[in-house]
Amino acid sequence: MADFTAAVYQNEFLPDGGTDVHAIVTVNCTGAGAAGQSGTGDAGEIIIVDTSGSMGREGVQAAAYAAQTALDQILDGVWFAVISGNDRAQLAFPASAEPVMVKMDPYTRQAAKDAVSRFYADGGTAMGTWLRLAARVFATVPSLSQKHAILLTDGENQHETPEALTQAIQAVTGQFQCDTRGVGVAWQVDEVRRIAQALLGTVDIIPAPNQLAAEFSKLIQNAMSRGVAQADLRVWAPQGAEVLFVRQVAPTVEDLTARRTMINPLTGSYPTGSWGDESRDYHVSIRLAAKGIGQEQLAARVQLIIGDNVVAQGLVKALWSSDEALTTRISPEVAHYTGQTELAEAIQDGLAAKAAGDTATATTKLGRAVQLAAQTGNEEATTRLRKVVDIDDQDTGTVRLKRTVEKADEMALDTASTKTTRVKK
Amino acid sequence: MDVAMTSTTDTVCPTCGGHVSEADRFCEACGMELKPGELAPAEAGTSPALDTDTEPTVEINALPPVGPCTSCGGVIGADGYCGTCGVKAAKPRDHFSEQPAPWVAGVCDRGIRHSRNEDSMAIAADPEQGSRALLVVCDGVSSSLDSDVASLAAARAAREVLVAGHAQGIGTESSRSGAIVARLNAAADAASDAVLENTSPDSPNPASCTFVAAVLEDGLLVAGTVGDSRAYWFPDASEAVALTVDDSWAAELIATGISRAEAESGPHAHAITRWLGKDAPDHTPRTTTVRVTEPGWVMVCSDGLWNYCSEAAPLADLVRQTAAANGGEPLATASALVDWANAQGGQDNITVTLARV
Repeated sequence: MADFTAAVYQNEFLPDGGTDVHAIVTVNCTGAGAAGQSGTGDAGEIIIVDTSGSMGREGVQAAAYAAQTALDQILDGVWFAVISGNDRAQLAFPASAEPVMVKMDPYTRQAAKDAVSRFYADGGTAMGTWLRLAARVFATVPSLSQKHAILLTDGENQHETPEALTQAIQAVTGQFQCDTRGVGVAWQVDEVRRIAQALLGTVDIIPAPNQLAAEFSKLIQNAMSRGVAQADLRVWAPQGAEVLFVRQVAPTVEDLTARRTMINPLTGSYPTGSWGDESRDYHVSIRLAAKGIGQEQLAARVQLIIGDNVVAQGLVKALWSSDEALTTRISPEVAHYTGQTELAEAIQDGLAAKAAGDTATATTKLGRAVQLAAQTGNEEATTRLRKVVDIDDQDTGTVRLKRTVEKADEMALDTASTKTTRVKK
Repeated sequence: MDVAMTSTTDTVCPTCGGHVSEADRFCEACGMELKPGELAPAEAGTSPALDTDTEPTVEINALPPVGPCTSCGGVIGADGYCGTCGVKAAKPRDHFSEQPAPWVAGVCDRGIRHSRNEDSMAIAADPEQGSRALLVVCDGVSSSLDSDVASLAAARAAREVLVAGHAQGIGTESSRSGAIVARLNAAADAASDAVLENTSPDSPNPASCTFVAAVLEDGLLVAGTVGDSRAYWFPDASEAVALTVDDSWAAELIATGISRAEAESGPHAHAITRWLGKDAPDHTPRTTTVRVTEPGWVMVCSDGLWNYCSEAAPLADLVRQTAAANGGEPLATASALVDWANAQGGQDNITVTLARV
């Protein structure tokens, strides 16, 4: 049985007339167990592989090998399927004209590996059709409470309009989670990131095909270790208050604000997907009507909900004080994650400006990113930034764009921009 | 008993049955708003004639409150906050008031900075203005355990002794004064016993509190103190009188000639040299007697108030001005003085008790 705890980090003291409360809520899960074994429903896994012509013979072979490695990691008893995608989607395993899934066992595993080995490169790329098929395949097994997919692509979504992809993403949002990976440097980070963010998954670059197998193996292992099928973050705020934003800030920055569904006029729910043994941090910001000095009130109840049960709760408070020693203090956790969020934005904005040929904006934004990465101790981001800019002074954020940059390094910086470091305790 | 001190009409809250006074706007126990006309008289015979509007200790210490939110009427959650407006439901112990007679009242408040209210008070009065009143304040030492429980028990134990006592001596002024001093000594003993009773025998940090009591009786005002809670006499037309000298490092420094402002801003300003408790060196109150011959205010308070106005003269001005702004009503004035201390920062628990002579 999974065990959840929540801890709140904030400065609850507001100055006279102060209205905005910020808090970091850390939710920790232990004892999650394995996927599909919690007794609350079955787990399903779909592997989606790009078999478009651009993959080429070698690329498809590497992808097939990676898919086979992934199949080895799917636990027996987990429902699964394999989709091959180009400008349309086909169910590669189980081979069937109608959507269907089977349970993993030694026989189906071998049959799936055989089917995957027959992949060949052909056609274009239309990821929206892949996602729609995956949703239909998952829907054939009503007992599934945990649905996860991994999606591999190598190129731009050329055979589908951006609107069609958007519509497909909207159509499948909430139906399954999806981790996305791009192989090589011909794919668009923004495009694939949109899929991952909507489907509560991750995005990353796999520079070379021979790195695919290890990455797929890791992704499936992660998915299989998530014994808690689905949990929601629930935020209550008092009457008259405004929830300014709800963000996941660790391990990655994800703005959840727009994903709110209303439970009642004072309470919103935000999906968080499945959980393994892990810790996630959320930044919650609430705007209250100011109260008098000395008054205390609850600014938010932040709860993690499984089914209808509250499994962890953190209380965000507000206490108005005239003591400046109290009200001017900034919570180190809030400051850290505010910086990390700005860092992610600075990297993405800087790279977008660079791609658009706006050198001045790119230099300013990436300079700010270098400064923030240094201030918040995000060494991984600093290392990635060094491959794109020459740093003159990281304290002031003075940088120059490198003349020649490896495309893969730039994409790695982009995909990793939302990864955050934790506050040093 | 010879000296009949009657309380205000003792009533009960229609919601929870807790004891309330007619002056209360909200029930201290459940937080329900009280409307005149809905009050029921308390069951006769449950309290002695001398009793005041006090609730049993257990009710003031009760938490969390069960009634609806006093701010919006919403339901208070198990975490102690309103489920609608989020206001923190006040624990009865955090803020309570008493008004045994229209001319005598007190307010005891948690303040802003402290998470618990370790101050306490217990007051009593006869109905006729200026006849007989007693005001007791105990300030729990925040560095010791369970000081909030101990200080309330101490103040109430002291009141019990003072209310019951009626020895007049042989009737001369000095013998009457001596009789009151003897009562104050007995009250301090009872308060000390109450603190000890509320201290775990193996406590590493035994509960401690200050003690100050003022007894007004037939024109004599006698105050006794242990620690740094204070009693004052503020005659309307004459100079303010500090009835107590603190048992504190600051007071010892002042005695050596250092200015009050300097002494009370030093690092040990709040270190007291005498207190009630298991490890107390001695708890005999130091007493002062004055004759009350003109109208004025008797005030007994904790350092939560006087920290912001320590000199007797400006404190008298503050009390007079606050009283004038509140129509001379003691409960409103005490409440306004507590609000004033909170507005200054509310660094400590605040207790203000007043008798209008």
